[in-house]
Amino acid sequence: MARETLMRVTDLVKHYGNVRAVDGISFAVADAAVFTLLGPNGAGKTTTLEILEGIREPDDGTIEVFGQRLRRVDRATKERFGVLLQEGNFEPYLRCREVLTLFASFFKNSRSPKEMLERVALTEKANTFVKNLSGGQKQRLAIAAALVNDPELVFLDEPTTGLDPQARRNVWSVVSELKSTGVAIILTTHYMEEAEALSDHVCIMDHGRLIAEGSPRELTAQLGQETIIEFAADGATDEDLAPLSACCKGVRRGSELIAVGTTDLVKTMEALLDWSKTKRNALANMTVRQPNLEDVFLSLTGRRLRE
Amino acid sequence: MRDILLVARNHVVTAVREKITLFWFLIFPVFLLVVLSLIFGQIGQEGEISFQIALANADQASNAPFSAIIEAAFDEVAELPASGREPLFQLRKPGKGSDVNAFIEAQLTAVRRGRLAALIVLPHGLGEAIQRNLMTRSSTQASLDAPGVEIHFSEGNAASDMSVSIIDQILSGIDREILAQGGAYDRDAAIPQYKAWVGTMSEEAPYVDFLLPGIVIMGFFMNGLFGIPGAILFSRDQLVLRRYWVTPLTVPRFLAGISVGHLVLCVVQFALVYSVGRFALGASVSFANVETALVLLLAAATFMAFGFLIAAVSKTANSGMAIANILNMPMMFLSGLFFPIAGLPFVIRLIVFVNPVSYLADRLRASLDVSVAAYPALVAVLVPAGWVLLSAAIAAWRLRWDVGR
Amino acid sequence: MRAFAALLKSETVIFLRDKAAFFFTFLFPLIFILIFGFVMGDVDEPTARLGFVRASAVAEPALRDILEDSGVDSVRDYDSERAMRDAVLGREIDFGVVWDGNALEFHYSPSRMQENFAFEQMANGITDAFNLEAQNVEPVLPILYVHAGTEASTRWFNQMVPGIIAFSILASGLFAVSGHLTAMKERRTLDRLIVTPMPPVALLAATAVVRLVIVYLSTLITLGISVLVFQLSFSVDWTAYTFLVICSTVGMMGLGTVIALLVRKPSSAGNVANVLAMIMMFLSGIYFPIEFMPRFLRAISLALPLRHLAEAMRFATGVDDMATLRFWIIVGCFLALGLALFPVLARYVVRPQRN
Repeated sequence: MARETLMRVTDLVKHYGNVRAVDGISFAVADAAVFTLLGPNGAGKTTTLEILEGIREPDDGTIEVFGQRLRRVDRATKERFGVLLQEGNFEPYLRCREVLTLFASFFKNSRSPKEMLERVALTEKANTFVKNLSGGQKQRLAIAAALVNDPELVFLDEPTTGLDPQARRNVWSVVSELKSTGVAIILTTHYMEEAEALSDHVCIMDHGRLIAEGSPRELTAQLGQETIIEFAADGATDEDLAPLSACCKGVRRGSELIAVGTTDLVKTMEALLDWSKTKRNALANMTVRQPNLEDVFLSLTGRRLRE
Repeated sequence: MRDILLVARNHVVTAVREKITLFWFLIFPVFLLVVLSLIFGQIGQEGEISFQIALANADQASNAPFSAIIEAAFDEVAELPASGREPLFQLRKPGKGSDVNAFIEAQLTAVRRGRLAALIVLPHGLGEAIQRNLMTRSSTQASLDAPGVEIHFSEGNAASDMSVSIIDQILSGIDREILAQGGAYDRDAAIPQYKAWVGTMSEEAPYVDFLLPGIVIMGFFMNGLFGIPGAILFSRDQLVLRRYWVTPLTVPRFLAGISVGHLVLCVVQFALVYSVGRFALGASVSFANVETALVLLLAAATFMAFGFLIAAVSKTANSGMAIANILNMPMMFLSGLFFPIAGLPFVIRLIVFVNPVSYLADRLRASLDVSVAAYPALVAVLVPAGWVLLSAAIAAWRLRWDVGR
Repeated sequence: MRAFAALLKSETVIFLRDKAAFFFTFLFPLIFILIFGFVMGDVDEPTARLGFVRASAVAEPALRDILEDSGVDSVRDYDSERAMRDAVLGREIDFGVVWDGNALEFHYSPSRMQENFAFEQMANGITDAFNLEAQNVEPVLPILYVHAGTEASTRWFNQMVPGIIAFSILASGLFAVSGHLTAMKERRTLDRLIVTPMPPVALLAATAVVRLVIVYLSTLITLGISVLVFQLSFSVDWTAYTFLVICSTVGMMGLGTVIALLVRKPSSAGNVANVLAMIMMFLSGIYFPIEFMPRFLRAISLALPLRHLAEAMRFATGVDDMATLRFWIIVGCFLALGLALFPVLARYVVRPQRN
């Protein structure tokens, strides 16, 4: 089934003085898919999203949404968007259902507060004041508010930052459910697991630029490695590691960990065992795993997603 | 439409749920109404206030009876019970056999310290002096050398000033009594004095009638100048307004909702303040006429517009509240609402001229028949209306959902 | 000591940036004095303009003289009672009198309730004098009025300025704790300081010193403006004044501590302090004379610190008199209140904020 492109961004630029926060990025967002902007803090993800949501002016570039070129996001477009801002609050003295009733009234079409509360599992908090909600509950309420108008395109800016694992999982299930109803979602995150778990298409951003793009599987496949073996560095130097490059595809040394990539696990394991005896490295805390987006980012920039 | 009404509803609901807002918008005006009527309603009401005065008769050895007469007259006033109320004066006198001069010194200190309203001293030789005046049909000037009734008081102290004018009255009465007893004055030939009121009110209205319109206006004023910027700016500071930015809700519609909510709050506040004034304090002024309703509506709108203006030009709640506080005083006091303003420097008159409160208060009092309008009706409507339009325009144009931080 | 110096600097900057606090401590008294000074300062005596209608053909020249001598500021003649009554309504004159050959009829405006009392006294004086004149009699009672207080105390505005200064001292000390420190607690910035070796005493001292200096400056400027612009007179006892400012600021910080302890949420403490300050302002005799309040309000007024602070300030600025002992007792009580609550405040600062 050919997916319709809901939004296309071309050469988007935003600078603040000398700093180019968004440095000429282009991408397309398809229907019924989760499109993720992945990158460390300061990469320009939120700035990009805010431009698309209509609360920031771009300096250059074109935006096409719902088949129309947009100079500015107008009221009609806002009717079809659902937006979860990275930063924001609700009136502390309103009850949850009052908040949703209010937001529902802003749109021509909307769902009932009761339905929305059920969707984000906040039904028993319907009459609770916003000021008495936990962080996770507030975030779920914000998602409900973002979806109250049955939007066609949803923006989720760092939806799980600062949430505990349980709350994070709750949000993930809402996003999955949303995707299954055919809504297009643009997500930003700096959590690699989130990008891997939810996305159909990932754009990796760093310093305002798009440095890689593709589905999570495509991106990790680019590394050309099948398996990654990680173990504690225990003071090993680059010199110590030199012999290892013969038996594997790539060796990376961090301050704590050494990561070795290989397509031939057995041969590499044997070489490692030999090496560990010669260099007296205990191969402590060893893990053997599949490559992930963190590794992709690391290979592209030399830095980790989470500094 | 629903969005505007819901914004209005939430504005009202939040104001009621936040205890501190509830206090300022409901309790404080009532408190002020009650306290001010209690304080100022007493003035001129007999039986309501009692003054502490002292009297020292240093002329007891006199052969002439006059000092004793004066003393007796004050004793009588001090004893006058007015059915359970306090007598007009509470009189202190030196104890029998005690040193009169020490008493006078002590009471003078008390006057100076505001503990005593007035000290009356009847000095030695007073009786003789009065006797001489009576016999020679002349009057003498009292001075520090020539004996006269000495009234020691604290000028500028309200109670002292007032008790002195009452003492003056009593002494005038004694004067005429002495003359009458001496056959020099015919009381029956006294010229009668009458009292009349101008305007449509037939008798002196209770003070609360004068105060109530002022408190109503002040309540609307505080709602508009503090309540509105408070609501908008604190919401913005807390990043609440930001969430509306990404919805189709526009700033003008949001402001429209706040306006409706504000009007509802004003109505509730008016109802409470009026009820307290009418049923607890006995106000007789009636607000039930079209002109009054229109003036009140215009007042609510004007202050609301100022509130929007403050919200539009302030970056944070903190600076907005500071601006509101700075504007508060000149607007309230340079308006004739509480004090009459006459003979002021040009700059001040300019402020009064531009200040919408001046016109609103004036128009309100006129429509209630409490006083006559000082400004022509057209001006009284145009100046506030002008402020409403100007402020609403600036606010709709300049108010941001979020400011750069 | 280094901590104290650093805190001093940061507290100063924070205070100057907090526009609301700066306003109440520094600007409020100045603006108030300026406004009140211009509106009320020249009006020491309320005006009394009398309108006179002679409805009788009989000439009574003596009456006119009596009217002029009665203490009114001016006497204006009107041809008809109607014209005079309109003039009263229109505030061209304050009250009027009609002499029809038999009786004196005085006309007042009901809307000028408080002022009518004074006008009626003048009317009584006029009638009395006229009566004596008509019977060709002189008053026999010589009367001498002696003002017992200072020259300054005769001007109402002169009395008000020390009261306003007292209020700004109250606000400064009160909001330093219930406002500033409670906000720090609420925002957890206090927690961040506490986990460092910084002694809490240093923070409290820095807070107090900053506010003290600013309020002292503000009061001096207020006094200066009052004297220069409005020609008020003060004779300040600088020792007493300085002790009063310092001790009452400390005492008001103590009051702020009481509020912070009693109120559950730190953010509410500022609001409660605001309300209390407002109520105290009205009942402390600064704006309205206490003498006219009903007994229970006068009793409440006695319990308010601001009342005593205002009276002490009037003494220190030479406007009103007070027993010297009483002044120093007041100063001592403020100091004691502040010092006694100081360890409590230190504990409050250190106690972690629980939500």
